[in-house]
Amino acid sequence: MFRRSLLGLSLVALLGFGSALAAEAPSEIKLGTLYASSGTFASISMPVHLGLKLWMDQKNAEGGVFVRAFNKKIPLKMVEYDDQSNTATAATLYNQLITQDKVDVLISDSGSVLTSVAVPIARDHKMLLIDQTGTGAKFFSPDNPYIVLIADPVSSIWPKPLADFLTHDGPGLGIKRVAMIYATNDFTGTQAAAVRKFVTEAKAGVELVYDEGIPTETSNYTVYINKIQSANPDAVIHLGYATNDIAFLRSLADSGAQFKMLFAIYPGLETELLEKNVGAKGLEHVFTYVPSSELEYKPDFGMTLTEYKDAWHKKYPDGKVEFGFNSVAGYTTGLVLEKALGETASLDQLDLRKAFDAVSGKLKTIDGLFEIDATGAQIGSLTPLGQLVPDGKGSIKFVSIYPHDTATGKPVYPAP
Amino acid sequence: MPRLLRHVLAVLVPVIAVLAALPAVYSNHLLLFNFVVFMGLAQGVNVIYGFTGYLPFGYVGFFGTGAYGFSLMVMHLHAPPLAALAVAGAAAMMLGLLLTPLFRLSGAYFSIANLAAALAVLQVVSNPALEPITGGPYGVSLSGVYAPDFAYATALAILAATLLLVIYLRNSRFGLALQAIREDAISAAMAGIDVVRARIIAWLLSALIAGLMGGVFAWYVSVFYADTAFQGEFTIFAIVFALFGGTATVLGPILGVVILYGIYNTIGITAPQYFQLIYGCLIMGLVLFLPNGLTSLLRRRGIDVP
Amino acid sequence: MLSSPLATEIVNGLFFSLVGGLIYGLYFSLIGLGLNLIFGVMRIVNLAHGDFLMLGAFAAYFAFEFLSASPIVSALFVFALFALLAFPLYYALVPRLLTARDPEMLSIILFFGLSQVIQALATISFGTSEHSIPGRALAVGPMAILGQSFPKTWVISAGVSAVAVVGIYLYLYRTRIGYLTRAVMVHREEAVSTGIDVHRVSAIAFGIGLGLAAVAGVFAPFMLNVITPAMGVDVTITSFTVIVIGSLGNPLGTVLGGILYGVSYMVMQRYLSSWANLLPYLVLIAVLLVRPSGLLGRQVRRA
Repeated sequence: MFRRSLLGLSLVALLGFGSALAAEAPSEIKLGTLYASSGTFASISMPVHLGLKLWMDQKNAEGGVFVRAFNKKIPLKMVEYDDQSNTATAATLYNQLITQDKVDVLISDSGSVLTSVAVPIARDHKMLLIDQTGTGAKFFSPDNPYIVLIADPVSSIWPKPLADFLTHDGPGLGIKRVAMIYATNDFTGTQAAAVRKFVTEAKAGVELVYDEGIPTETSNYTVYINKIQSANPDAVIHLGYATNDIAFLRSLADSGAQFKMLFAIYPGLETELLEKNVGAKGLEHVFTYVPSSELEYKPDFGMTLTEYKDAWHKKYPDGKVEFGFNSVAGYTTGLVLEKALGETASLDQLDLRKAFDAVSGKLKTIDGLFEIDATGAQIGSLTPLGQLVPDGKGSIKFVSIYPHDTATGKPVYPAP
Repeated sequence: MPRLLRHVLAVLVPVIAVLAALPAVYSNHLLLFNFVVFMGLAQGVNVIYGFTGYLPFGYVGFFGTGAYGFSLMVMHLHAPPLAALAVAGAAAMMLGLLLTPLFRLSGAYFSIANLAAALAVLQVVSNPALEPITGGPYGVSLSGVYAPDFAYATALAILAATLLLVIYLRNSRFGLALQAIREDAISAAMAGIDVVRARIIAWLLSALIAGLMGGVFAWYVSVFYADTAFQGEFTIFAIVFALFGGTATVLGPILGVVILYGIYNTIGITAPQYFQLIYGCLIMGLVLFLPNGLTSLLRRRGIDVP
Repeated sequence: MLSSPLATEIVNGLFFSLVGGLIYGLYFSLIGLGLNLIFGVMRIVNLAHGDFLMLGAFAAYFAFEFLSASPIVSALFVFALFALLAFPLYYALVPRLLTARDPEMLSIILFFGLSQVIQALATISFGTSEHSIPGRALAVGPMAILGQSFPKTWVISAGVSAVAVVGIYLYLYRTRIGYLTRAVMVHREEAVSTGIDVHRVSAIAFGIGLGLAAVAGVFAPFMLNVITPAMGVDVTITSFTVIVIGSLGNPLGTVLGGILYGVSYMVMQRYLSSWANLLPYLVLIAVLLVRPSGLLGRQVRRA
């Protein structure tokens, strides 16, 4: 009887002692995030979300993610809501994640529009916003430490490879007159401003002879193509969302017009979707960004592209959500978060931000180099300029053109 | 005691009291704020549709105008929030005044023209040419006035005033006159009611409510795009909530908001992909089987609903 | 040969927009044709019109993907299909709706609900990503008209639209049912009292209206380039502009409305591109206020 109670007492003491040690570390790290299963942004949101989930499930299979603050692996739990591409719903849901679910880490939905509402909310509640792909330059300011952009370069830097190609290699190829048409919204409007700035500052004899902003809802480009033709450009840049790119390329094919060089964003970022709607022929010799899902970066952390692609197709075999640039972005968010948690002094939001700063410039994943500036904007992982060329099998493939150190071929200019 | 006072005590006081107390126990304040906004908007629709029979299918035009009126005052004149709010309401009323010629049109044409007007305002406000003034398609970002608690309290005050207005309409000769116009405008005119004047007053009041709510919305969220402030959801939800509860009563729209918006937020979180389908069917069922709303079930039995 | 910049601009720019706008606008006349009929006969605001167009577009897409069917063939098939489907839909919704106090207003909400249901079902079935039909299904490349080149697909769509307009005209003015339909359009109550089976006439008009919407949908991948389940909303609003500019009941009015819309839109795109989307709304309001009976019509819309 005495021995039993001694055993019981010592057990209790042991448990008490053990739990006192573990009192600091939470049983799980709660990741709060939103996704859009329907609406305008579903096609860019679902791949990102599923990529993040793939990372999380991998980590949980290994017992969790290592958090330096507690010196142990802690499993992850995801709290996720569907905002249906509606910004007002998203705002309420971000609030829900912070105030009701009390998540440890706040991760935004994909794209500038759905991220924009989170920026003031996160700031007000002093939560660090893990911004996956929202590149709007307005989000980042020196007085707001509560945001960090992970997977896409900030809009004001993103078109640099394109602009540099035009101003460095362009004159040698005979490119002097450039036409730029862009949809007026946060994403492409800021990229257009960046192109304008880079081209005028370079003073390389390359000038914008046509510069027009059109409504994002534009569905037919026939008049605009006609206008561009009369400006007689050596290169044409179209900056818009996927729907705009599809409409532009189709209008171009219908009108029978030919441009010596054409650049568009989404043939690179959502190649499958564009190929389905415009056809491989319509994409031939189009210049675009080379996404991380096409370039084999040699990562020093996380899976390689081939490994990730296999893992993706194994986990999501039905093919309903397309593998591409955005699925890599979601996975990258997980990787960078993992590195930051591995460095952080505590789960306090500002300590997390310091951890991201510590990791910056030293992390190479399949998305490229993770590097943020003082305001939290991503200035690494720039997508090179490339061209889509026929692959001889009825489809198209990427050739990376600029910068020269990642180039895999020479540009075909003018387009035949 | 007079009917008006009874209604005030039975409806207005409890609603405002509950909404004032909830932030202390429920921390998703933005959701509560949305409830307040929709309650106001549903009552605004009630004023114009329930009492005069015109369906404002472009109601969000007033809301957005209020939001931008507030924002312009803050961004360019650095006005204090309450002054900017007054301007928001005034701007919405001016738009309402501008649209009064639409009353010449019958039923469906009025609604379509109203919708076109709201969309036209959106196009103007979000035009890149106006970017230096309204931010164009790149959105509005208000700094320096961020005060969600104060904004919430102000929204509650606006809602209280709105409910008081509707209670007044419910219990006054003016409200009766409006309902007479809704039933048969010609007979009402023959009975001596100044049809045009009464309609315009109701219209402007309705616009004012939406404008003030828009202004306080801008104040609360402080970052928004043009198509958020003008999104069709605001109009549709306000109309459906008001219809579901029952128009020409005070209680109807309140019930509509509590029940339907509550369902919206629960389904929206748990089964979002079927959400649009459920809501669509609900709306159709509402029109086909219960066009006079929930409160009509009570009124049919002779119960006087506030 | 005039070589001044103004002359070049007029020839290349303005003229291009005028001719292009005419062809482009004829397509919108097709969209408005069905809506005009439905609104004229039943005074119902079919806010789901664009969504039926969307369904027609997806039908054509799947017909092309799996059966390699030409859009022209799809158009005929789709017309018949939707016209047939319209009958049960009519009898399920409209008679009950018409018993309400103000069916016009309530129809807006009812058909909005229907629009949401159709969109939801389409999103669940087809997903949200963009679809299209390759241009070569219909025709490849441009064709020259009056010295300017326009997409062949546009010209074919305009041709289909013209055929539809003639068809509707013949229906309304040369067939017995068309005669009855016009009677119902002018005054529904009187038509009932003269013994016309108003519901049958209306159901047929509803069928033709939805059928035409679906046919317009078949050509949407070529005119609007991208089809998604959510595309219906904008289309509906535009089609209201078209029928308002024209006038109720008169198919020629819809043609005029479509052409005016197309031309003004393309001229705006040329010269004031950022304001191009504002124009249709302003035109709609202006026409309703200034000339409520439309540019051609006799039907009055006063309260």
